[in-house]
Amino acid sequence: MNTLAYLARRIVQIPVVLIVTTLTIFIVVRATPGDPVELMLGMQTSPDAVQAVREKFHLDKPLYQQYLIWLGDVIRGDLGSSIRLNRPVSQMLGERLIVSLQLATAAMLFALLISIPLGIVAAIWRNTWVDYGATGYMVLGFSIPNFALALILIYVFAVELDWFPISGIGSSTSRGGGVWAFVSPFILPAVALGTVQTAYFGRLLRSSMIDVLGQDYIRTAHAKGLKPAVVIAVHALKNAMIPFVTMVAIHFGYMIGIQITIEYIFAIPGMGLAVLTAVVNRDFPVVQGFTLVIAIFFLVTNIIADVLYTFLDPRIRY
Amino acid sequence: MSTPPLHIGAGDPSAPPAYRGGAFLACQQFMRNHAALAGFFILLLLGFAAVLAPWISPYDPTALKLSEKLLPPSFSHWMGTDYFGRDVMTRIVWGGRVSLSVAFLVVFYSLLVGVPIGLVSGFVGGRLDNALMRMMDAFLTFPPLLLAVAIVGLLGPDLENVVIALGIVQIPVFARIVRGSTLSAREEVYIVAARALGASAARVVFSGILRNIVSPIVVQITIVFAGAIIAEASLSFLGLGSQPPDPSWGRDLSEARRYMGDAPWLIIGPILACMLCVLSINFVGDGLRDSLDPRSWRAKTTGGSTPRVPEQVTP
Repeated sequence: MNTLAYLARRIVQIPVVLIVTTLTIFIVVRATPGDPVELMLGMQTSPDAVQAVREKFHLDKPLYQQYLIWLGDVIRGDLGSSIRLNRPVSQMLGERLIVSLQLATAAMLFALLISIPLGIVAAIWRNTWVDYGATGYMVLGFSIPNFALALILIYVFAVELDWFPISGIGSSTSRGGGVWAFVSPFILPAVALGTVQTAYFGRLLRSSMIDVLGQDYIRTAHAKGLKPAVVIAVHALKNAMIPFVTMVAIHFGYMIGIQITIEYIFAIPGMGLAVLTAVVNRDFPVVQGFTLVIAIFFLVTNIIADVLYTFLDPRIRY
Repeated sequence: MSTPPLHIGAGDPSAPPAYRGGAFLACQQFMRNHAALAGFFILLLLGFAAVLAPWISPYDPTALKLSEKLLPPSFSHWMGTDYFGRDVMTRIVWGGRVSLSVAFLVVFYSLLVGVPIGLVSGFVGGRLDNALMRMMDAFLTFPPLLLAVAIVGLLGPDLENVVIALGIVQIPVFARIVRGSTLSAREEVYIVAARALGASAARVVFSGILRNIVSPIVVQITIVFAGAIIAEASLSFLGLGSQPPDPSWGRDLSEARRYMGDAPWLIIGPILACMLCVLSINFVGDGLRDSLDPRSWRAKTTGGSTPRVPEQVTP
């Protein structure tokens, strides 16, 4: 019951946090110099034309009214349309969000694929060369910026070996050619993006496995004659995964944000570059719509992480 | 009401016989950690190279010399030359100057704002605490690197704005850590005693609380510092940081990308420099974490039994 009450409180807090966030962004974006209409139309346009665009996007009204109009529209499910591109923000968001989620999912799959075996193996053969190798890999994984790794991957696997394409995510050409044509452009970006997480997760799983392997019930499991593989897979791993799963949920939220350099290198039409372009052009409705969705996404992944934590470990109560 | 922990008994028998200051013991622990020590010296070396760049670099970092463009590594150019005939090694040394000073300033400004917010929030508590922490939460509803990109996008691409953006992003990180440590330090016996004796709030905060929460702050500084190096490189890579022809690891990688097919050596130098820097900071941070926590001295675990995963940093 306590957990439910906690969850309810967290969910009730979402709108409050979102209003603070969007209001802050609203004020900051408009307080800094730069006018979207002038940036778009140039200086030589007639004042009438400028005025028309201003009125269309309510830019002639006082700031607080602009915010309230925007908020009212959002509550009714209307994110407005881009000043620069004259397209509905929700439509742009839909396209970009799908690409970003696909890339984050691919990177997460890669991170899990590497980190779970790595963490387990490093914990079981602790303080042997297996552990040192795994730890060494993790230390390097922490230290390399994702875009730097992307450049190395491009050079080796795209330029020299020519195994994978370096672009093609979200383009129409990748649609017609079967599964490989869809999957292959994701491989290099996913590896570049997910490597930091393989290090995080591997390190976390290693230390929580070491913790669990020292517990009494593991000794009992061994004592009653279970095969070591069963003890590790069933008894140890299940419990060591508790902090791990939480971390995975949180990092999934982060990945949407870290993606921007990878989007830039591989020319991926994701959320990050869209935010950058919109901010530079002062395309207010786009900036606000995208930041709102990213904030919601981030909040929700964090709440999911909390809920998973209590769900997996009944000892934890809020 | 939580009861403050009581320390009864004469301490444990394995304690050193002669009294040594905490700082001395922490240093001693740090020296025993070879990785941390190596990291510290590498960092020192990088720092010296950055400070002395104008005197130790054999070439001009920005002067164009098109007759020597895209030369492979040789004795006169250890890491080759770039498309404009500039010595890559020289640019890496100068780029380190940029990276390290940006990271220093980011740590400085975020400490300057974040620590007081955390101290006030944790010490005063109540509604003020609630308001300040909700504000920090609003910052944290956004992935840090994307927030920094948005701030630089608003202010204009420039190194100063990179410092401002990264500093702002790290403020809530320090504020939350300091608040948490302050909350627990506030309940300690020595603080309660100091307040009962009538010490002023300022005295309690500065000589009581702040001194005793230094170690989580120091560890966080190393994490933020490493994060700032990577974040500065990322922003410069996106063209938001230092502008051409100024040297910067991220910016140079962005340029090297175009000539990767003909001159792959151009990407190796900046990447290695960046990794070496972040790697040594991480080692120093790990060493500090262990040496500043007396509980980990005696219980020399065989590989870290408690889950220790650093806070997520940008990126």
